[in-house]
Amino acid sequence: MPGAEHAAFAIFLQQLVNGITIGSVYALIALGYTMVYGIIELINFAHGEIYMIGAYLGIVLLSLLTAVGLADASLMLTMILVFAGAMLVCMMYGFTLEKVAYKPLRGAPRLAPLISALGMSIFLQSFVFLAQGARPKVFPHLFSGVGFDLAGARVTYIQVFILVVSIVLMIILNYFIRRTKTGKAMRATAQDRRMAALVGINVDRVISTTFVIGSLLAAVAGVMVAMYYGFVDYFIGFQAGLKAFTAAVLGGIGNIPGAMLGGMLLGLIEAFGAGYISSEYKDVFAFSILVLVLIFRPAGLLGEQTPQKV
Amino acid sequence: MKKQVFALAAALVVAAAGFATDVTAATYKIGVAGPMTGDQGKMGQDIHNGVKLAIQEWMAENPGHKVETVVGDDQHDPKQAVAVANKFVNEGVIGVIGHYNSSCSIPASTVYLEGNIVQITPASTNPTFTDRGMWNVFRVCGRDDQQGIVAAKFVADKGIKRIAILHDKTTYGQGLADAFRDALKKNHNMEPVFYGGITQGDKDFTAALTSVKAQNPEVLYFGGIYPEAGLLAKQAKDLGINARFMSGDGTIDPEFVKIAGKAAAEGSWLTFSPDIRNIPTAKASVEAYEKQFGPVGPYSIYSYVSAKILLEAVKATGAKSARDSKKIADHIRNTTWNTAYGTLKFDKKGDVTESPYVVYETRDGNFVQITGLNQQASK
Amino acid sequence: MAAIVRRALDTPAVRPWALGLWFGLLSLPLMITSDPGYQDPYGYHGAHRALYVFATVVVVAYLWQVDQAIWPRLSPAGRKRVGIAALVLTVLTVLALRDVFGQALHGTLAGVGGEGLVYLLAGVFLVYALRGLTPDTTADGGAGPGVWQRHRRWLAPVGLVVLLVAPIFMNRYTADVAVQVGIYITLALGLNIVVGLAGLLDLGYVAFYAVGAYTYGLLSQGLGIPFWYALPLGGVLAAIFGVLLGIPVLRLRGDYLAIVTLGFGEIIRIVLNNWDEVTNGPNGILGIPKPKLPFEFVIPGVPEWLDPAGELVIGGVLRTPHGLYYVILAIVLFTVFVVNRLNNSRIGRAWIALREDEVAAEAMGIDTTKTKLLAFGLGATWAGFAGTFFAAKQSFISPESFTFFESVIILSMVVLGGMGSIPGVMLGAAALVVLPEITREFALYRTLIFGLAMVAMMVLRPQGFVGSARRAVELRGGDEPPAVKDEAATDQSLYEAQRR
Repeated sequence: MPGAEHAAFAIFLQQLVNGITIGSVYALIALGYTMVYGIIELINFAHGEIYMIGAYLGIVLLSLLTAVGLADASLMLTMILVFAGAMLVCMMYGFTLEKVAYKPLRGAPRLAPLISALGMSIFLQSFVFLAQGARPKVFPHLFSGVGFDLAGARVTYIQVFILVVSIVLMIILNYFIRRTKTGKAMRATAQDRRMAALVGINVDRVISTTFVIGSLLAAVAGVMVAMYYGFVDYFIGFQAGLKAFTAAVLGGIGNIPGAMLGGMLLGLIEAFGAGYISSEYKDVFAFSILVLVLIFRPAGLLGEQTPQKV
Repeated sequence: MKKQVFALAAALVVAAAGFATDVTAATYKIGVAGPMTGDQGKMGQDIHNGVKLAIQEWMAENPGHKVETVVGDDQHDPKQAVAVANKFVNEGVIGVIGHYNSSCSIPASTVYLEGNIVQITPASTNPTFTDRGMWNVFRVCGRDDQQGIVAAKFVADKGIKRIAILHDKTTYGQGLADAFRDALKKNHNMEPVFYGGITQGDKDFTAALTSVKAQNPEVLYFGGIYPEAGLLAKQAKDLGINARFMSGDGTIDPEFVKIAGKAAAEGSWLTFSPDIRNIPTAKASVEAYEKQFGPVGPYSIYSYVSAKILLEAVKATGAKSARDSKKIADHIRNTTWNTAYGTLKFDKKGDVTESPYVVYETRDGNFVQITGLNQQASK
Repeated sequence: MAAIVRRALDTPAVRPWALGLWFGLLSLPLMITSDPGYQDPYGYHGAHRALYVFATVVVVAYLWQVDQAIWPRLSPAGRKRVGIAALVLTVLTVLALRDVFGQALHGTLAGVGGEGLVYLLAGVFLVYALRGLTPDTTADGGAGPGVWQRHRRWLAPVGLVVLLVAPIFMNRYTADVAVQVGIYITLALGLNIVVGLAGLLDLGYVAFYAVGAYTYGLLSQGLGIPFWYALPLGGVLAAIFGVLLGIPVLRLRGDYLAIVTLGFGEIIRIVLNNWDEVTNGPNGILGIPKPKLPFEFVIPGVPEWLDPAGELVIGGVLRTPHGLYYVILAIVLFTVFVVNRLNNSRIGRAWIALREDEVAAEAMGIDTTKTKLLAFGLGATWAGFAGTFFAAKQSFISPESFTFFESVIILSMVVLGGMGSIPGVMLGAAALVVLPEITREFALYRTLIFGLAMVAMMVLRPQGFVGSARRAVELRGGDEPPAVKDEAATDQSLYEAQRR
């Protein structure tokens, strides 16, 4: 029988694990917000729905592949195909989303694209509801439960998987933005769109690419969450989108390591707040932090304080 | 331009006038209310199907009478429920079977009271519904507090001491959890080791469950419905909590097992009304229902029974319209009813006198009734 | 190769098919359902539904091309004629569906499965009726003083009399719908101050509605304060909350503001749901008294169609929707009056200046802080009134009536009706309450259509159906550098909205 101190430490450690897991998911979704905001200075309200669609696609594809018998033959190959399929389709959705709801409004004042994005988010949510039905979907329990004990805290392999995948993706993304030609074009566009156009960057293509990459990351997050909770309904996009946006703002919107940091911090705040203060007010903590950060440090923790463009 | 605006408004009004349909005299209309579409649509459809079956049977037994249903979709929104209630009053229904959610039944009932209409709910279990001393409300299902008492007695009899309680912060979930906690304290002098809420619609409950784990409970009681219940059971197992999962009628759904996974759901205790398939008096009705509408839902037969009671009362009192509702209500209250659920009697408030709850255990993915079997056999 | 494909995709004969194929493909994976337990009330189920998407998109794209070929060439008079014809057709189709022409026709329609098609047709007619009868304000440079101004002298009293006698022709249900229309008009006009005039996107507006409702709910339960005192109190309290929210978010720009207000709305709802000691948590507040008038007359012996009980009660406790109708009518008239005055006042102009260009407005000597706070406060006031009335009408309130979706509905009323335009917003509110009531069969598709309509409205007609001229100019003009704009215009995108 471990001592009371040890038990309290185990609880603390467990909350840390809980927070980091949910934080990595927030971080992955937050990347999509941050990239889009960095380039067109718009919140992509529908981004959370892309994540939700990714989660649904994970379930649809897995049940399809199970039906043809592939899942029994090779689980590894099945999972690779599920992720690839979900990523591909979500990229198509991201691309179309930009063309339909954002591009026609590129010259319009800010209110117009915000409302059209909100409309798109509502549309996608009810589309999935109509297409897939109201009942929550269940992801087959393939990986749940297996894990190991870490100083009294329980860690499942899928939690480790989520953390590793998130970090790897973020490193790749960071490399992509800093080193590749497209990445440089994205940064140039983010700094000054007109100037970028003048030096021969195809601004439209860059914006499209941004949406597509953001959607890809959201798809990965969606499938992983479906695997982790084993459960998807059509509301998850709204809630997660809001949290991920908070994470992006917390870290400094437009800043990629910032999104990672913000996501982790938000996950930890939620876990410790719910664990040690009150689980009923969990969402209040998240939103209060958002409000406080915006008031006292609008550029976020890692963001640079820039004078407002006039 | 403004002229056109008015023209449009006029057109809308004309169109709106279209839904003022006339009341035809020779037929009875029964209002059926519940969430007919959306995420709870299945529950509303179950209620509707149960009423349909009752009407078919009743019309076959009583040729010459014609009964129609008027369906109201409250979309589990209290505001829509009031709109539906006004529509029913307007259409001159002689009684209402519904609503499904307590949060809809309660505000709607005041409209029915005012419109002089009897309301029988087949599914709203919140005590407040009948506790307000209204003459026009009845409920054929049980009450949350009765459910809490049954659950508390069950765990106390098992000699269980450490109980953690969670609820989903909804009218239903918190009501159930509070009833359970109060019954533990009052009847068995027990205090839960943990009591707290989670957010309905959330997916990650590990933070709250970690706090539960610290208390090392023997039973984890959850007031809420199946999606959260399934996730809680699963995440509790993943966290290594070795408590028995326990919940109420909102969880008794095959989806619960699917979401939790067979392993995590195994052994869960759930309180609900006795399995309709174990009740000999219900056999014929269940068969007739399943032939037409597919598997019976948890409240299908309750709504069938509600509609039967209403129709019999209308016939017995010779009521012509909702003006005779007081007579109908008195008749319902003063009669012993032979129904698919056995004999039912209503008390002054409009609740059934016998608490209908029993405990089920989840065994290999199925819900098996484990208490109250003897009483039924003797019935 | 790519260039050839691109050019082929752009030909009018190919494009609709290409679009259909794209959207069909896009929807296909989500149309595959693995859940046999789900009962779709409409019986649509399975992957073949992607074909419906394909067909719908192809048809709409073709219709769009036809529309684009004909509509711009129509004269304003011609458009008006099309509008009137479409309006008549709309009413006729709706009446046919409401079996006003007899069950036989309705039965036939339903029998051949044409009911959905007729609804679709009614929808198309309605769009053209609105399009034809509400001229594009940018095209003719604004509506000018308009019919209202010219005939105000007699239009106002006639309208008032119509509104006052209307309940006689209403049954309980229609009166209840009319009361709901009134609530939403008040809400939408209030939100219009914040969004339409001041240009601040508030996604947590429902919070103020909740403040009003709980003000009356709690005061009536705790202190027995009657409705008439609670009504101004609810408004004032909501205004205070509006200002309190306004202070921290003043510095935030559009998108941040949207998110913070959204978060604020959620915080209010979560607090209401959890603060059991005060708000009774999810169980809400029961038995809130209805408004009571100090006098009461009973007129006996009225015909039954007027009142089932055979007597007409005027005054006393306003239990029926008919009684409540007059209360909300008074609130709506007051709202319209004040909002109209505000619109043309110094503050109103300051709001618009702020919306158009904050920096320029500040340079012109407008106190932006004060102006924004006023917008939040004055906008919230109406939500407070509406909330107080809502609590009295429902006599039961619980946090689930104040969700984010409610904010979205109010916002759609403002957006679809026409941001900044008072008649537009009122029409938007009326339409979004009445249309779902008429087409209850389509309750499932309601949010789908809402979402699509919001996108379409922003892309195709940002000023709304009855836009204000000033607003239209702003929404059309851009603050974007022309170089990029030109490039965007030459880009052969997959789905290019023609901005006329």
